[in-house]
Amino acid sequence: MDKERIARELTGIVGNEGIVVDPGELRVYETDGLTVFKAMPEIVVLPRSAEQVAGVVRVCHREKIPFVVRGAGTGLSGGALPIEGGVLIGMNRMNRILELDYENQRAVVEPGMVNAWLTNALAPRGYYYSPDPASQTACSIGGNVGENSGGPRTPKYGVTTNHVLGLEVVLPSGEILKLGGKTLDPLGYDLTGVFVGSEGTFGIATKVVVRIMRKPEAVKTLMGVFETIEDASNTVSGIVARGIIPVAIEMMDNNSIQAVEKGVGAGYPLDAVAVLLVEVDGPRDEVDALVDPIIDVCKENRVREVRVARDDNERLLLWKGRKAAFAAMGQISPEYYVQDSVIPRTKLPSIMSFIGELSRKYGLRVANVFHAGDGNLHPLVLYDSRNEGEMQKAEEMGSEIIKACVGMGGSLTGEHGIGLEKRDFMPLMYTGDDLDAMRKVKKVFDPDGLFNPGKIFPTATTGAETGPAGQREILQKVLGSA
Amino acid sequence: MLSDDALVQRLKDLLGQEHVLAGPSASSYAVDGAAPRAVVVPGSVEQVSAIMALASAEALKVVPRGSGTKMALGGIPERVDLVLVLSRLSGLVDYEPGDMTATFRAGTRLKEAQAVLGRHGQFIALDPAYADLATLGGILATNSSGPRRLRYGASRDLLIASRVVHADGKVTKGGAKVVKNVAGYDVNKLYIGSLGTLGIIVEATFRLHPVPPVEKTCLAPLDSIDVAKAVVARILDSPLVPSAVELLNPEAARRVAEHAGLPWPPDRYGLAVAIGSVRSEAVDAQLEAVRRLCRETDIPEAHVLDGSVHHDFWRATQDFALGDGRRVVLKASVLLSQVAEAVKRGEEVATQHGLVLGVVSEAASGIIRYHLAARDAASPEHFEPGVAEAVTRLRAFTQEVEGNLIILEAPPEIKRRVDVWGLLGTAGPLMQRPKAEFDPQRLLNPGRFVGGI
Repeated sequence: MDKERIARELTGIVGNEGIVVDPGELRVYETDGLTVFKAMPEIVVLPRSAEQVAGVVRVCHREKIPFVVRGAGTGLSGGALPIEGGVLIGMNRMNRILELDYENQRAVVEPGMVNAWLTNALAPRGYYYSPDPASQTACSIGGNVGENSGGPRTPKYGVTTNHVLGLEVVLPSGEILKLGGKTLDPLGYDLTGVFVGSEGTFGIATKVVVRIMRKPEAVKTLMGVFETIEDASNTVSGIVARGIIPVAIEMMDNNSIQAVEKGVGAGYPLDAVAVLLVEVDGPRDEVDALVDPIIDVCKENRVREVRVARDDNERLLLWKGRKAAFAAMGQISPEYYVQDSVIPRTKLPSIMSFIGELSRKYGLRVANVFHAGDGNLHPLVLYDSRNEGEMQKAEEMGSEIIKACVGMGGSLTGEHGIGLEKRDFMPLMYTGDDLDAMRKVKKVFDPDGLFNPGKIFPTATTGAETGPAGQREILQKVLGSA
Repeated sequence: MLSDDALVQRLKDLLGQEHVLAGPSASSYAVDGAAPRAVVVPGSVEQVSAIMALASAEALKVVPRGSGTKMALGGIPERVDLVLVLSRLSGLVDYEPGDMTATFRAGTRLKEAQAVLGRHGQFIALDPAYADLATLGGILATNSSGPRRLRYGASRDLLIASRVVHADGKVTKGGAKVVKNVAGYDVNKLYIGSLGTLGIIVEATFRLHPVPPVEKTCLAPLDSIDVAKAVVARILDSPLVPSAVELLNPEAARRVAEHAGLPWPPDRYGLAVAIGSVRSEAVDAQLEAVRRLCRETDIPEAHVLDGSVHHDFWRATQDFALGDGRRVVLKASVLLSQVAEAVKRGEEVATQHGLVLGVVSEAASGIIRYHLAARDAASPEHFEPGVAEAVTRLRAFTQEVEGNLIILEAPPEIKRRVDVWGLLGTAGPLMQRPKAEFDPQRLLNPGRFVGGI
């Protein structure tokens, strides 16, 4: 592309302060939350309105320039990487709350708004926005829409798609459309539903209509300390079998506990093999009625100690450890490689013992800190890239975990997305025909395929399986690094 | 083009003699008066696939059907060659109670699915109309929901995986049998509510919920719709977690109460709030809070319904119908703050046109069902124009308040007077594209979905 001419035209749309062409400044955008992959955009634009987004997109469309959208850049699958160069559209300046409509239990926000800001804005009136990914103080609502983000609260309240009811989107053609809205069951196909989780490959959301909820009257958080992973896993199943759906059931293993205690000191016992955090919420009488049965289940599974947070401070401290777990890994390892695969909940004990075996086989430690309530694992394979071959070993181990999870009837990813990282694993889960159906949906929104190319779909022939080695080779070809 | 005889023979070769109906016995499967050339009842996914491959080769128009409870939904079909009945494709495929997910063939009746799951204290949290007959595939394809969507959501929140036979006969799956999954696009969403225009759902995996061991209802007669508006707003703004909040107009309240064996004062609206929980005390505490809100809103009495009365009340609400004669059912979706106004508008237009109106609305979800019937059965010539006018006026109102109104059930005479679906907004042209990608030959239910799809 004729970079200078294009940059001039784009500047005409977004203004001088809305464009980045300086290589030093562009470097900020060369990677997202998954830092092993890097790709530089040629131009970055930072629009302030849907009209500006549409203007930029129309230029890209006309000039056949590939383009990608980026929220806060916290994504963990390389989804915001401009692997074919071109234009990167950063949404962080479109970050306003447009409407807090309490009467109708909806909020309308711009996509660049940080997830946690919305709940902060709603708090004085006793409302909140439920999806709370661990990165919620940084990640944007638009990014959450792209990734269909989850978080700890999903067992009871669901993921982003359950809370997004409408969108204003700019299609790759430059058209601005309204999908869904504040009311339920909009006419026609549920294009809002299929747009959520499309990982920035369908179009750019410029407004998001979300459900907001009344804060529960009471919240209780329990911590159970276990001597074996299996006891902790069985406790998860046992709670659910009692007909209780907690807001969250989170598990941490000993390596995670070590890291967290060194990092933030949440008060988890250092010698515990596993810690479970269980949170219930609702009307006070209901919450009170739930605590005893949960403690009973813990005891049936040989819990060493159960602690019920007595007040909000204790509750927040217990959560602080969980929320800081990824960041705290630096305390015990220079680097980690995190997987996000999902298994049916009953397979928890077997996958955990399999991961233990892999850890011994590869000679790499694994810290498990994950959403046990919905079977969404986050094994962090700990490695040090200064040791020859260790990063490759970590990746190989990660891919063995993915394969085992899919083999157990699970999924490649529960909340981080396929993006660039896991695209070549897609044939593990889907047939060529399944993927073709998805390609058709892509064509509905982006018939020319200019928008965020190279994501989600495997590069290899459909039906064939590339595996981690092949994948790395392909990525190296594409990116020249990694 | 295949002759009727040749077509029937081909189908019988595929499915066996007894699973193909033609001639007069097929005419009872007419869709809006259009009789199919044949009715096919496949017994496997492979057979559904083979039928679609044949349909694709011979350009046959196909109408998928479950139990047939919702065949009155949708525009008048352009043409009907085959009605494809999924009733033999029924039963459990896969169920692990500890995972709280279950997979059923799409022709399984909801009631049968609930019976299987109920043994483990679990259920698919859907409570649509015709719950005894409706099949899972039909419920998904029509996005049917009921009062408890307030607590549990609708099909889009509960379906986690599906298997679909496409117009060309290919079979694909979407999603995974786990409650959390973002691998690839969420194609399940496209099939829900698509009226079978993109593919035929043959298998569905749901996330399940525990059956609340205790559920009771607070039922209050109300003097006016304004009181209803006030109390619903207070419930919504409270920390209460009702499973359902239903508002009935006097006509509907009287009929539902009668079904449930309850006395009902004349001309009173009915507000019903269902509360479910693991513990009886927790239910009672919330019911007491609802009654307190009622008292504070000057509602003099509020009764607690329990056991079989509670059960009968909700069954009658879900399956509400105005007799067996000429009738029309409309469904509106509006902002929560506009439910009361939408009920009022319905009453005005019904009075003007001499129509009987029963309103059953999920007041805390913004869903309103208007049941219309002729007050004087002897004069259908007034009924049709009256209903058409009601649809036009109520639709105009719902669109003003960011909602929509569709015809759920109506005879073809009404559909010729007024569009079943109403107009799509700016997304109109985009809505045509999934159909063009998934079913370019327009074989599946042509003309029955919104925008002429």
